[in-house]
Amino acid sequence: MNPKDLFLLSFEALVDRKVRTLLTILMVVLGCSLVVVLNGLSAGQSAFLEKQFNTLAANVLFVGSGQRSLSSFASSSSNSLIINDVILQKIKSLPNISDVIPEYTGSVQMNSQGNTQRASIVAIDPSKLTVELPNLDYVAGSTVNANDRASALVGDTIVNPPGSDSAFVVLGQTIKATSSYTDSSGKQTTVIKNFVVSGILKPSGNTMIDRSIIINLDAGNELLHKQNKYDQVIVAATTPDDVDTVQQEITAMFGKTLGATTPKAIMAVRQQAASGNAAFILMVGIIALVVGAVGIVTTLYNSVTERIREIGTMKAIGAQNTTILALFIVEASLIGIIGASLGVIIGIGGGYVMSIATTSSPMGGGGPSVHIPPIFALMDLIKVWFLSFTLSVIAGMYPAWKASKLSPMVALRRE
Amino acid sequence: MSSKRGLILKNMTKDLVVEKSAQNEIVDNSSFALQVENLSKIYDSTAGRVVALDKISFSIKKGEFVSIVGPSGSGKSTVLNMVGALDRPTSGKIYIDGIDIFSLNDSEIATMRNRRIGFIFQSFNLINRTTVHKNVKLPGIIAGMSSSDANYRALKILESLGIADKKNQKPVNLSGGQQQRVAIARSLINNPSIILADEPTGNLDTKTGEDVFDMLKMLSHKFKRTIIMVTHNPELAESTDRSILLKDGRIEKDVFN
Repeated sequence: MNPKDLFLLSFEALVDRKVRTLLTILMVVLGCSLVVVLNGLSAGQSAFLEKQFNTLAANVLFVGSGQRSLSSFASSSSNSLIINDVILQKIKSLPNISDVIPEYTGSVQMNSQGNTQRASIVAIDPSKLTVELPNLDYVAGSTVNANDRASALVGDTIVNPPGSDSAFVVLGQTIKATSSYTDSSGKQTTVIKNFVVSGILKPSGNTMIDRSIIINLDAGNELLHKQNKYDQVIVAATTPDDVDTVQQEITAMFGKTLGATTPKAIMAVRQQAASGNAAFILMVGIIALVVGAVGIVTTLYNSVTERIREIGTMKAIGAQNTTILALFIVEASLIGIIGASLGVIIGIGGGYVMSIATTSSPMGGGGPSVHIPPIFALMDLIKVWFLSFTLSVIAGMYPAWKASKLSPMVALRRE
Repeated sequence: MSSKRGLILKNMTKDLVVEKSAQNEIVDNSSFALQVENLSKIYDSTAGRVVALDKISFSIKKGEFVSIVGPSGSGKSTVLNMVGALDRPTSGKIYIDGIDIFSLNDSEIATMRNRRIGFIFQSFNLINRTTVHKNVKLPGIIAGMSSSDANYRALKILESLGIADKKNQKPVNLSGGQQQRVAIARSLINNPSIILADEPTGNLDTKTGEDVFDMLKMLSHKFKRTIIMVTHNPELAESTDRSILLKDGRIEKDVFN
């Protein structure tokens, strides 16, 4: 029997059992698309994180109160040290350090010409920004002076909020920042400050900076009511090779009351978590595909039972065992091809939908949310397609073998 | 049958015969289409040993129309299953066109069924999801016939049997008589040496059954097809060239009508 006739006979058999065929294809589609979605989101997340850390200078460390949590920049220990100017001086006194840059961080409500949005505030000596982010550049304007309490640099995502056609703010315009805090007596106090936009930053790739407003350290202290308690200190080692030494020195000096973390260490932990995630994702996806394969076994096995007289007739009119085997394998292959192809397409679409649905602020704090697009590498898609297809064919083998081995006389007798 | 339809079938049959001789590896020069020698079939089961066939022997000439009759359990269908190579005997030999069919392996037996044997079943056994035309050409497709050749032959046979207008219909939408004609057409597509008909009129009313029987008779007498028909109907059996009466797995009578 030629391949075309074989294909047509198998195709007709599948069409004859439309609902069951569609449900089986659906199982393969679900398994395949799940693997594609999870792979795409995982790859997108990894690429996003890598991009974030690649924007940071190689010689910096982040120092914060208590043991640093690697999953966020917040301190997590009750046994933490408040970072103030005394602590800064102690850190500065350590060898192999070229600069120590304190910063306040927080979240405020921004108003500009009647429009409002939440934004992150980074209060730092603006002239030292390039120590942390060497590639920082401006769309318009320039950095503000260290003592200028009324000027601000604005990140790209604040200027051009996602989904908005017009700019939130332009160079030279005044923006109003509103922050509130609860004092020790439990009273809610609101602080309002106006800033003139003196610089608009180019997209840096660093989400924290792109969705922040950068202001002078003193202005930040007042606006966020920090009472001279810094949230974080960026320590610049003399050279990238000194980073580990500086980290050890800080740890030796402050113990667990201060935490010092390098971008490299954060990245390593992130990568480790990502590879753990990838293994988990692969396992979930394969389980989904195996469930799909079991569906194919069930469908084709039922099909063999239902078509037993047909198989007997085919054998009586001269079909070889291999022809019967091939008919069922082609049916399984068709289910695999259609299921895997739809699964890849739906998986790509689903990946984008999921990434939009899970748009969030990955670094914590306020400000515009971040959309991390999934990444679908062609080779990954081809691998998933072949995995789905191969599992479908393997699943079809047992029912096909069973059908091919039926005695024609026994098959013809079956009602 | 009209003389025009008969002429078409006669011409087509001639073509098929020429091609068949070229296809077959062994060309049998004897006058026998089928030879059965000491054929036995014994079933061993928990209920005991059942002798379905007990060393029966007979030969059928090319072009003969033979009926096999007998009461239920006499071994009629068992003989047909053996001759059709659907089942293997406990002992004995069967030769079709001089070939000892049970000396062949499974693949060769399948080829034998495809090229040299045509089956007509009581319950038609057509593939209902596909068209009449495809059903008829299926043995040709299995034989590796080109698509155009299979299409042409199937159409010609359907025309000869008067059901060409049903070619695009599904068998399930046809009457029993029409379905059996489709089954006859299917049995002819590869121009087999013998046609085995297992109670071909058993599921049909008397009139339709007679029509189908007349068609088989016409195939035998006009176009020299060798036909072996199992039947319960003594009138139909008497209308064949020869009747073999089986009883308890043995040939009780072998009479020429």
